[in-house]
Amino acid sequence: MRNKLSERVAISGVGCTRFGDLLETPEIQGMSLQDLTAVAVREALEDAGLTGQDVDAVYAGNAMVHSSQLPATYSQLAQWTGTQLKAGVHFEAQCSTTNVGVAMAAMAIAAGVYDTVLVFGVETTRTRVKDNSPYEREPISNQQSWMWTDMAVNQAYGVPQGYDIFSTYNGLVALGYCRKYGISIEDFDRAMLELCRTRRLHGSMNPKANVQETLEDAAKRKGFGDVYEYWRSEHNPLVAWPSRLLSLVTTADGASAIVVTRAGLAKGGKSQPVELKGFGINMGDLPWYGADPTHVEFDRRAIDAAFDMAKIGPKDIDYLHTHDCSHISSICTAEMTGYLEPGRGLAAALEGRLRFDGDRPMSTHGGRHAFGHAWAASAGSDTYEAVLQMRGAAGARQIPRAPEVSVIHTHGYAMIGTVIVLGGM
Amino acid sequence: MQALNEQRNTIRWYYDGLAQGELRAVKCEACGKYTFPPTGCCTHCGSWNVKGAELSGKGTLHFATHTGPAASHPRFEKNWPVVYGHVELEEGPFVHAIIQGVAPEPETLRALYEKGPVPVRAVTMKTEDLPVLAFKLVD
Repeated sequence: MRNKLSERVAISGVGCTRFGDLLETPEIQGMSLQDLTAVAVREALEDAGLTGQDVDAVYAGNAMVHSSQLPATYSQLAQWTGTQLKAGVHFEAQCSTTNVGVAMAAMAIAAGVYDTVLVFGVETTRTRVKDNSPYEREPISNQQSWMWTDMAVNQAYGVPQGYDIFSTYNGLVALGYCRKYGISIEDFDRAMLELCRTRRLHGSMNPKANVQETLEDAAKRKGFGDVYEYWRSEHNPLVAWPSRLLSLVTTADGASAIVVTRAGLAKGGKSQPVELKGFGINMGDLPWYGADPTHVEFDRRAIDAAFDMAKIGPKDIDYLHTHDCSHISSICTAEMTGYLEPGRGLAAALEGRLRFDGDRPMSTHGGRHAFGHAWAASAGSDTYEAVLQMRGAAGARQIPRAPEVSVIHTHGYAMIGTVIVLGGM
Repeated sequence: MQALNEQRNTIRWYYDGLAQGELRAVKCEACGKYTFPPTGCCTHCGSWNVKGAELSGKGTLHFATHTGPAASHPRFEKNWPVVYGHVELEEGPFVHAIIQGVAPEPETLRALYEKGPVPVRAVTMKTEDLPVLAFKLVD
C-alpha cells in the first residue's frame, strides 16, 4: 500500500442539522428525511460557495434503511439537493459513514477523476415511516432500534447467541482498563461522571446538540443537590457493570454534509477550507479485542495509516475526537493515538483537561452522549465540529487557541475504525 | 462429528454441533490455527484450506459484566439480563458468551472480577428456537 494522496485535497464546506428527534426537537420537528438532508447539504454547499450543480459526484450515506426506507439515497435525494445528473452512489460504513465518504472522495479527487464531491449522511434512529406514509413518522422502540442497528453485527454467531453492545463495548472494556492500570471501580465511576459532565457541558454550549442540559442542571431537576448522588441514583442505572447509562450514546435523528474538493479549487471558496492531510481505515469482526480489551488492533492500524499519510505524530494533535458511544472505549482510543498518556485518560478527565478550555480538548460538540448519535450522519458532525474549531467559529465552546491539526476517529459498527487528519491549508 | 464438507451451510453445521454438545470450529491446514466460530477460511492467514475440528470447550473467563436494559433479541426476553463474559478458549480463540450460574448483580460481578481469570467450560443453552453457546464456572 502506497498510502499517499497524489494530489492535495481540502474540505471547503460543512453542514449539519441539529441532532434530536423528528417528532419532538424544535429545530427539526415535523421534517421529512428529504427536508432534513437538504438543510445539511444546503449549509455545506453555501459554506463552499457552490450549488449542487457544481459538484461532480454525490456520495449519499445512510446506514439503517429499515427506518429511513430510502435505498438508492443518491437519486431519491437528488431533486432535494440540486444534484440531478451527477454521479452518485449510496454507501454505508455505519457510524463511520460520512468520514469514510470523505476518504473515498479524496481518493477519487487525487486520482484525477472528480474535482468536487458532495458527501452526506442522513439517519433516523428514533423515528420510522408510519403506515407507509410519505411524510408521517412514528417512534421506534429502543429494542427495535437496537435490533435493526445490530444487523451490522455478526449475524451468524454473535447476535443470535446474546451479543449485547453495552456489555461488549462498555462493561468488558471498563473492567479490562481497571485491571490493566490498577484503577478501583469507585475511581472509575468518579471519572466516568467527570467525563459525562464534560460532554454535557459541551452540549450545553452547542445549539445543535441533542442534549443541551448540563449534568448539574439535570441533577437539580431531579431533586439532587449533589451531582455524584444523582450519578449513583436510579436515574443512572448500571447497564453493563461497572458502566452506567449516562456513559453511553443518546440516539438521534440528524443529517450532515461535507464538500470535498481539489485544494487548488478550495482556496477561492467562500469559507476558510481545511486540508485533508490523511486518513486510515481498518475493519474487524467480533471479537474486537483479545486478552487486553483496551487494545483494538483495527484502531491501531487505522491510526498508524492516517498518521503516516498525514506525516504527523501524537504531539501534533491540537484537537481530538474519538468515537464515544462508550466513554471508556473513547478513552482507550485516545490513549492509543498518543494524545493521552496510557492509563492516564481517566485522570485527565478528572482534572478537566478534556474540556474545550483544557490542554487536551476532546469532543467539544458534546460527543455521542450530548450531541447525540445519528449513525451515518455522526462522523460528519464530528468533522463539522473540527472545521468550526479550526476556523475559530465554534462560539462559546471555542478552543482558546484554534487547532491547527485535528484528528477524528470513529467506529463504524461493527467495526470499521476510521481516522481522518485535518490541517490548515 | 459430521464432516464440514458434508454440510454446505457452515453456520448450520455449527449449531447442529452445539445441539449435540459439540463445539465446532475449523482448523487451518496452512498455519495450524483455529477459527471459531467456524467460517469457510482461516481468520489468521486467509487460507481456504481449512478442516472441521471439535474444540474441548475448556476456557478461561477473563472478564464478566451484565447485559443492558432490553433483551438484544426476543429469544432472550424471558431470562434477561444475563451475565456476559470474555472467554479465551484452550485452543486460542477468544469469544464473548453468556455465563450461566452467576447472578447479574454488581456484588456477584465484583466478586468474580476480584478473583481474576477463572476456568470455565462450554455448555449448550437451550432456547425456544436455537441452541446457544454459554459457559459455566468450573468448581
